[in-house]
Amino acid sequence: MSLGLLEGYTPPAGTYDELVCGAAGAAEPSANGAAEPSGAGDSPADAPADAPAGVRPRPEHKRVVDLIAGCGGPEIERAHARASEALRRQGVTFGVYADARGTEKIFPFCPVPRLVSAADFAHLERGLEQRLRGLSAFLDDVYGEQRILDSGVVPRELVLGAKQFMPQLRGIRPAGGVRIHIAGIDLVRDGDGCFRVLEDNLRTPSGVSYVLVNRALTKRTLPALYEEARIRRVDHYPAKLAETLRSVSPVAPEDTTAVVLTPGQYNSAYFEHGFLALRMGLELAHPGDLFVDGDIAYVRTTRGPRRVHVIYRRIDDDFLDPEAFNPDSLLGVRGLARAYAAGNVALANALGNGVADDKAIYAFVPEIIRYYLGEEVILPQVDTYVCLRDADRKYVLENLASLVVKAVDEAGGYGMLLGPQSTAAERDDFRRRIEAEPRKYVAQPLVELSTCPTWDAATQRLAPRRVDLRPYVLTGREGPWVLPGGLTRVALVEGSYVVNSSQGGGSKDTWVER
Amino acid sequence: MISRVADGCFWLGRYLERAESTARLLATTRALALDGELSPERAWSSVLGVAGEQAPFIERHGQAAQADGELVQRTMTWGEPDGTSIARSIQAARENARSVREVLSGDVWESVNELYLWLASEAAEREWAESRDAFYRRVRDGVQLSLGLMRSTMLHDEPLDFAWMGLLLERVGQTSRILDVHHHAFSNMPVEHQAHETGVWSSLLYAVSAYEGYVRAHAGFVEADKVARFLVLDPRFPRSVRYSVSAALDRLRSLRPRTQPDLPGHDAEARLTALDAWVRSLEVLAPGDVHDVLTRVVDETSDACEAISRELLGYGEEAQTPPAASAEPVADTPSQSQSQSQSSSPNRRPPEPSS
Repeated sequence: MSLGLLEGYTPPAGTYDELVCGAAGAAEPSANGAAEPSGAGDSPADAPADAPAGVRPRPEHKRVVDLIAGCGGPEIERAHARASEALRRQGVTFGVYADARGTEKIFPFCPVPRLVSAADFAHLERGLEQRLRGLSAFLDDVYGEQRILDSGVVPRELVLGAKQFMPQLRGIRPAGGVRIHIAGIDLVRDGDGCFRVLEDNLRTPSGVSYVLVNRALTKRTLPALYEEARIRRVDHYPAKLAETLRSVSPVAPEDTTAVVLTPGQYNSAYFEHGFLALRMGLELAHPGDLFVDGDIAYVRTTRGPRRVHVIYRRIDDDFLDPEAFNPDSLLGVRGLARAYAAGNVALANALGNGVADDKAIYAFVPEIIRYYLGEEVILPQVDTYVCLRDADRKYVLENLASLVVKAVDEAGGYGMLLGPQSTAAERDDFRRRIEAEPRKYVAQPLVELSTCPTWDAATQRLAPRRVDLRPYVLTGREGPWVLPGGLTRVALVEGSYVVNSSQGGGSKDTWVER
Repeated sequence: MISRVADGCFWLGRYLERAESTARLLATTRALALDGELSPERAWSSVLGVAGEQAPFIERHGQAAQADGELVQRTMTWGEPDGTSIARSIQAARENARSVREVLSGDVWESVNELYLWLASEAAEREWAESRDAFYRRVRDGVQLSLGLMRSTMLHDEPLDFAWMGLLLERVGQTSRILDVHHHAFSNMPVEHQAHETGVWSSLLYAVSAYEGYVRAHAGFVEADKVARFLVLDPRFPRSVRYSVSAALDRLRSLRPRTQPDLPGHDAEARLTALDAWVRSLEVLAPGDVHDVLTRVVDETSDACEAISRELLGYGEEAQTPPAASAEPVADTPSQSQSQSQSSSPNRRPPEPSS
């Protein structure tokens, strides 16, 4: 048997590849502690006899990887071209801030899927649910009694000094009691294949529309492959999201008016806002369409004002209500924070969540989970040095060339120093910044992102490219639910670790196997 | 529905209708100019006149350039920065569609987006250069596909009602202006031969897709007075003033049922009702009255559009709403600039024919 499309495919040394392993690597351990299917197909005897001393499909994915490898290059290229054309035709585009205003680009799609085994997904599901329970308890506490600060588990100044902590929200419980309705947790896979949490996104995580769009593209461009692969579906996400939103309404779910709130057409995620509104059958409101009167939120309609009970808002806290937060912002809805505090409108996500996905607080999440849940953390994360701590800062400043430094309040790959790829001038710049504002910086060792075979149109073959994974977790009154899929972002440039859509990344369909 | 979204639907309908009308007028004028019965200047200046583009065109290119059919077609197809053209209408239709994407069916959005992408492509430029009629046909087909998909794939409720009301009110203006400009141009033409007159009036009928309907209704007699009467008063012809006003009023009444008089839109309904009643009351249309009647139609339609904008589309609330201007990159201002450019359009008066 030939390796087909995977002929000659070689992942870089020291990285974990999602679909293949070394031909002699039968002993490669599964690092997740999950009930991996072991044994079957794992012996060298199962390796294709005529395979070069390169790679073979990972045993847990063998069936599906063989199907993929059996596709012809022209078939993948056709799928790639047709998918790009469909994205343009459907206007599945995002804007780029640094770019000229209103520029629309498609988010490049690679037709070769990323696979997640059933066992790995079960492990992720348990870990993510646990993480969401822990972080929710943390938010309830810091905006309530603040027991965790008294206990000293998390340094008081780190929480109270976080830019996204909002002291004015203390004592306010959101309608429905849920704070993190929608979470996007960024995961990476280290060299041993162990999934690690890289970042929590608990405010307005984006990208789920691409999960659905990518799946539709796969079904259209590679139907036979998809059918045989037996993959869990993702297209019920909008229904689950609508159910989640209605579950936290201050009135009965069936009497609830929910809207999606977008900053507008020039927001980089505008496509997603409209897409989700459309799929949920909800109205897509702009800030100017809403107003608050007597602590009740209304939407301006062609039949006069109509009360709104739940707002899935895709606007940051700072720009949501000029009265409560940023008086310079003319973007928000005046009085919305009052209506929220009165319990008359539910905001998804709730106000003030940013304190829990702060990159410095992140370092303490395992202790947070232990403190509230009395459980050991299921999903490990990346070792993090908090520059506010003297010993950590000293280490960071001495090892800038080998670490990744991140500003705690930046996202999207901005405000970062990639030590191993940095110049001396860049390191000096960050050294000064860290010394000036230690609270603002954390540092982590460079994580070897896993690779996944990715279609390279220039050479017409599969090439190893780095990927991450953002699963989505919905939490309504019934507790967390993890979408069996997620957004796999891929760094399309050879050797690159930056997967962000704003910086040359693309995406893949994520196949959770049944 | 949200007033701003209703506004986007209303203007989606208007711009699609305007694009198709412009494409049709260019195609028929091209055929008319080939016949040579009218001077090239007379034939092509009327196209500019209908769109209200005559003055800026003369300012830019000079009076004599109106005889340059290629230049007029290029201007009316690809457009000047502030002008009316097929490309600008399709771009505006697509902008509006994108802003109300969530109330359109996927098919409708894709068809509008595809037309927009095609017009911006090299393939469209090639088609324009190599096969002009096919180009105009393709624009019209694209618009008609979008309109057909609206009716066959969307719920027949508010978003569709607003889009169709916009389309019908745009149509009132298009038919009125096309008739007004051509009626003037053709009536002052020295009549040398009966065939000439038949030819130019037939061309006018083609310009509003009325030819087949007219000849069926009038057993083939193409005469100036009958043509004008048909385009203004015939209740069966879907582009006549009477039909379009009446159908727009129907849409408004389904949005604002008479059983619910407290709903917004009172002034709009009163104005459109009065216009409808007046057009219905016109029994005859004397040749000398055509211009005055059409001027009144266009003015009152414009007033009705203004009332719709104010009462239903959210423009009246701007005083209470802070302007959406901010230094933030996420700030969103298109509705402002869009509302200005859009609200200026319905106020466009029919051009005064030059004598």
